[in-house]
Order: sequence, then C-alpha cells, then structure tokens
Amino acid sequence: MAVDVTTAGEAGARRRGDDALIGWLLLAGLVAVGAALLAVAATRGAAAWPAWAFTVAGLAAIAAHGAWVFWPFQRLERRLPVEEERFQRLDASLGATCLHLGSGDLVRAAAASAGLPSRVAAAFTASTAALSGLAQQIQDSSVEVASAADAVNRIASELAAGSSQQAASVVEITAAMEELARTAAQIAGSASRQAELASLAEDSGDAGAAAVDEAVAGVEEVKKRISAIANRADALGSRSKEIYRVLDLITEIAQETHILSLNAAIEAVAAGPDGRRFSVVAEEVRHLAQRSQESVESVRTLLDEFAGSTRATIVATEEGSKEAVRVFERSRAAAAAIAELRHTSGDTARVARQISLATQQQNAASDEVVMTLREVSLVVQRMTGGLKDLSATADRLNALALEIQLLAQSFHLDSARSLKHVVESWAARATAAAPAARQELLEELVRGTQFADLLYLVDERGTMSALAVNPATIGARPSLDLAQLRDVDMRRRPWFRNAERERRTGITPPYQSILTGEQCFTVCACVGLPDGGFGGVLAVDVNVTGWTRI
Amino acid sequence: MEATHLLVRAGEYVCALPLGAVRQVLRSLTLHPLPGSAPELKGLAEFAGDPLPVLDLARLARAPQGANPVFPVTVVAWAGPPEARELVGLAADAALDVVVLPAAALVAAAPGSGGDGGLVAGEAIVGGQVVRVIDLQALGQVS
Repeated sequence: MAVDVTTAGEAGARRRGDDALIGWLLLAGLVAVGAALLAVAATRGAAAWPAWAFTVAGLAAIAAHGAWVFWPFQRLERRLPVEEERFQRLDASLGATCLHLGSGDLVRAAAASAGLPSRVAAAFTASTAALSGLAQQIQDSSVEVASAADAVNRIASELAAGSSQQAASVVEITAAMEELARTAAQIAGSASRQAELASLAEDSGDAGAAAVDEAVAGVEEVKKRISAIANRADALGSRSKEIYRVLDLITEIAQETHILSLNAAIEAVAAGPDGRRFSVVAEEVRHLAQRSQESVESVRTLLDEFAGSTRATIVATEEGSKEAVRVFERSRAAAAAIAELRHTSGDTARVARQISLATQQQNAASDEVVMTLREVSLVVQRMTGGLKDLSATADRLNALALEIQLLAQSFHLDSARSLKHVVESWAARATAAAPAARQELLEELVRGTQFADLLYLVDERGTMSALAVNPATIGARPSLDLAQLRDVDMRRRPWFRNAERERRTGITPPYQSILTGEQCFTVCACVGLPDGGFGGVLAVDVNVTGWTRI
Repeated sequence: MEATHLLVRAGEYVCALPLGAVRQVLRSLTLHPLPGSAPELKGLAEFAGDPLPVLDLARLARAPQGANPVFPVTVVAWAGPPEARELVGLAADAALDVVVLPAAALVAAAPGSGGDGGLVAGEAIVGGQVVRVIDLQALGQVS
C-alpha cells in the first residue's frame, strides 16, 4: 500500500513539473508574440512606446509569476508526497474506523480512530461513546420493553383466559337463567293448574262432605234398624223360651198322660175281663200320649232350628250392629277427614294462586336477568376479543423489542451487557486455553450464566470439538451428546461462513431451539490459532427469555 | 200262653215287668235314703200314706249305667211270693209301653249274663230289641 502511494506521488510530481514548464513556455511565448506584434506596428508608423511598455509589463508579469506562483508551487510540490502519504494514512484510519463503525464494532472503531487527527479522533471517540451509550440505552429500553410486553402479554393472556372463562360462565348462567325462566313458567302453569285442581278438589270436597253426611245419616238409620232387628230377635228369643216352657209343659202332660195310660192299662189288667174295653181306651190314650210326645219332639226340633236361626240372627244383628257402629264411626271420621281436606284444599288453592302469581313475577324477573346477562355476555366477549388483540399487540411488541435488542446487540460495546463483548472475551479465553482444557472451560462458562442454553466450540474444519449444556435453563429436557454432533459439518452454517469470512463476531436472527423449543439466537466469535490465524468459532445459543429477563 | 208286661228302661236294659204284679206307675217319688242299707235300696218313699222301699231296678238287673233319665218313674209293684208279697218301688229311667209277650217268645237268659241271683226270668225280642223279663216273685226272695 505504501509503495503504491509513493509511485502515484512521483508520477504526480512529474506531471506537475511538466505542467509548470509548459506554463513558463506559454507565458514567455505570449510575451514574445505581443512584443513582436507591437514592434511591427511601430514600424508601420505607430508609436513605439506601447511595444516597450508591453515588453516591460510582460517581463514584470513573468518575474511576478516566478516569484509568487512558480517558486511557492515548487515548494508545495516538494511537500506534496509527504502530505499525500499522511493523507493516505488518515484515509486508511478513517476507512478502518468507518468500517468498524459500519459493522457496529464501536470498540475497534474507537481504537482505529486513534490514528486520526486529534480533533477528529476526539470527535470520533465522543461519537462512538455517544453511540455506545445510545446503543446501551436502546438495549436496556428494548429489554424493558420486552419485559413490559411480556408482562402485558401474560396479564392480557390471563385476563383473556379469565374473560373467556367469565364469558363461558356468563353463557352457562344465561342458559341456567333461561332454564330457570322456562322452569318458572312451567311452575307458574303448574301452580295455576294446581289452583284450579285445588278449587275442583274444594268443590269435590263439598260434594264429598255432603255425600258423607248422607252416608252417615244412612248408616245411622241402618244402625237404628239393626238395633230394632236385634230387639225383635231378642223378643223372638224370649218368645222361643216361652214356647220351650210350653213344650216342656206339654211334654210333661204327655208324659203324665203316658203314665196315666200305663196305669189305666194296669187297672184294666187288674179288672180282668171287665177291664178289656178299658185297656183298649188306655192303649189309645197311651198312643195319643205317645203321638203327643212325638209331636212335641217335632215341634221342639223345629223350635230348636228356629231358636238356632234366631240366635244366629241375634249374633248377626249384633255383628251388624257392631259393624254399623264401626261404619258409623268411620263415616264420621271420613266426614271429619273430608272437612279437613276441604280446609286444606282451600289453603292449597290459595297458596297455589300465590305461588302462581309469585312465579309469574319470578318469570318476568328471570327474563330481565337473561336479557341483562346477554348484554353482559356481549360485553365480556368484546372484552375478550380486545384482550386477545392486546395480547397479540404485546406479542408483536415483544417481537419488536427482540428485534431492537438484536439490532442493539449488533453493536460491539465495551460493556458486560454487550453479547459480542462477552462472547469475544470468552473466545479470547478459549484461544488462550489448551485444547484439552476447552471443554472444562465451556462448562465453567455456561454454569455462570442464566441466558446461555448451549456453548460449543467448532474448529476451523467445521467439527464440533467441545459442547457444554446449561442445566439451569435446559432443566429436565433431554440433553445433547457431543458424540451425536461431532460428525455434523458446521462449515455449511451461514454464521460459521460469515465468521470465517469477516473474522468478526456475529449474531443470527432469532429461531426456535430444537433443544428447548423456545426462541433463541446464536452469538458466534472467532477463536484464534497460536499463529494468529482462524482457529474456529465459539458459538453461544442465547435463550431469548433468559436474556430479556437479565 | 201269653202275659202282658210293662216295659221300662233301667240303665241300658229294657226290662219287662209282669203287668199283674204292677200296682201303679208314678213319677219318680221323693226318696229318703237309709244309711247303711244295701246299694240296691235307694231309700224310702211315701206311697198312699205308707213308707215304700224303693229299689234300683238297674242295679237289680245288673244293667250298665245309661244316660240321665228325662222322666224317671217309680213302678210300684208286688214283690215276693203270692203268700208273702209286699209292695216295693222299682226306680226306672222311663216307663215305655205295655206289651204282650207270648210264652214262646220267652227264652232263658244267657248263663252269666245277669249275675242277678235269678231275678231275670228270661229274655225276649220286642221290636228287634232284647227285653229282660223280671221275675218279681224272685225279687221277694232276693230281698
């Protein structure tokens, strides 16, 4: 680069020397031509002094050109290569500074601006400091915006979920109230029908009470008649006993007659032949007594049957009387029950009418509640929709904050909050560490962070040489094994190619981690070889949630 | 030869008393028992102003005890041989009839059936029923 600048300066000096000589020759030629033209004019009759004046002025002009133009130009010509070389250095410094600024590496830009003039360097330093502060403020603000958006999203999601549950509850309550209204209408109808039935029952109770009163009167009449029958049966029994006494008397008379006839027969036998007629009479009397006795026995048999029937009649009438008493008592109890039933039916009809009226009022109130609940349901649904929109807006705001964060992180700041700075410092430690100690170093580094899911070291051949998983962020999820990833060629990855080409720390756009399923991005910094060459890449998978939480 | 008899019931037996020896048939007389007398003697009754010994005909005929009589009677009859006959009362359960028993119908009593000391003179069938004829003369000897 310096050789090229010198050659260009010499060529420029030669070109500028030739131009000065040509200038001298043109000026002298113009003076000579002017003086010659004036001399010719003097020979043709014109005055000679203009030619002399022109010649003197021309010489004076040539002398002035030499004194004020040519010789300063010669001095400037001698200083020009030095200034040009200085300009080239300034240009290189300015280019490097602008290049670092363009790539967002404010640390290297500040270092590169040291070669600039002090005022320019101070201005660059102040600019990079201001830019660094601005980037840090943007980072902080984006983190706060992301946190706030996350909080808003979470609250909006909770509110949306609560509103959804509330809407579902309102729908259920509305359905329940509608069911209640329908049930109230049914109850009102049932109560009206019950009131009508109670009125009918009251009327029927009146008719039943009258019928029972008639039945009671009839039963009382039956009881009286049964009592009369019992009395007559008793009288019949008494008469039967008298008949028995008469029969006993007749029997006794017949027996006496029989004995008398026997004695007559005895007397007839004692009378001998004279008593033969008398014996016949005695025999007839004996037969008569015997028939009388037989008739009495027949009558007694009939009377026994009659007495048995009479006794059965008495027993039946007694049973009938008792049954009539029981029926009478039951009828009176039924009359009392029907009277109570009438009273109760009246009360039931009155209460049923009150229930019907109250239920109709309840039905109207339920309808109003249902209408109000429908309005509430619409409001809740609108609120749910609004909360969902708010949640979506918070999501977009969160994504925007993440983009701002990533844009801010594209600046390499001299700050612990600058991921490029952090990862470059880790890459520097990895560069300094022995290859065998790099796995242990990665595990130590990953344990000290709450945002890095994964740290891995890829050598210059694109092979993963070390891998450390953060148990604090991965948790119980299945982890990765280095042996599974050792055969993966990382040179195909854009971030590796960028790092190899640019030799600069880079950040990937956010993507979904196959390890956690959450959003993450990768920061990759170059690792140097002992000879200063490209020795690979240290990549850090940064968990977005963990980083924004920090 | 035939004889007229008075049929009476004594226990489960129907006994025939010779009508010539019967003085009168009365409803059961009021008895006055005699302490220490024989079981056949039921007591003394008053008949026509005189005391009348009343004998239990069923016991005399060794008849089994029958049902309670409805119209018990006392048959006043002459007992004993004609030269020494005397009036006795025979307590019977009922006076049935006056029948004529032919002599041919009378058969001797089965041995041991009476055990009555010859009081039952014989038996006859009347109306399909066994009638035991009482020998009132023998009754005087027995008594």
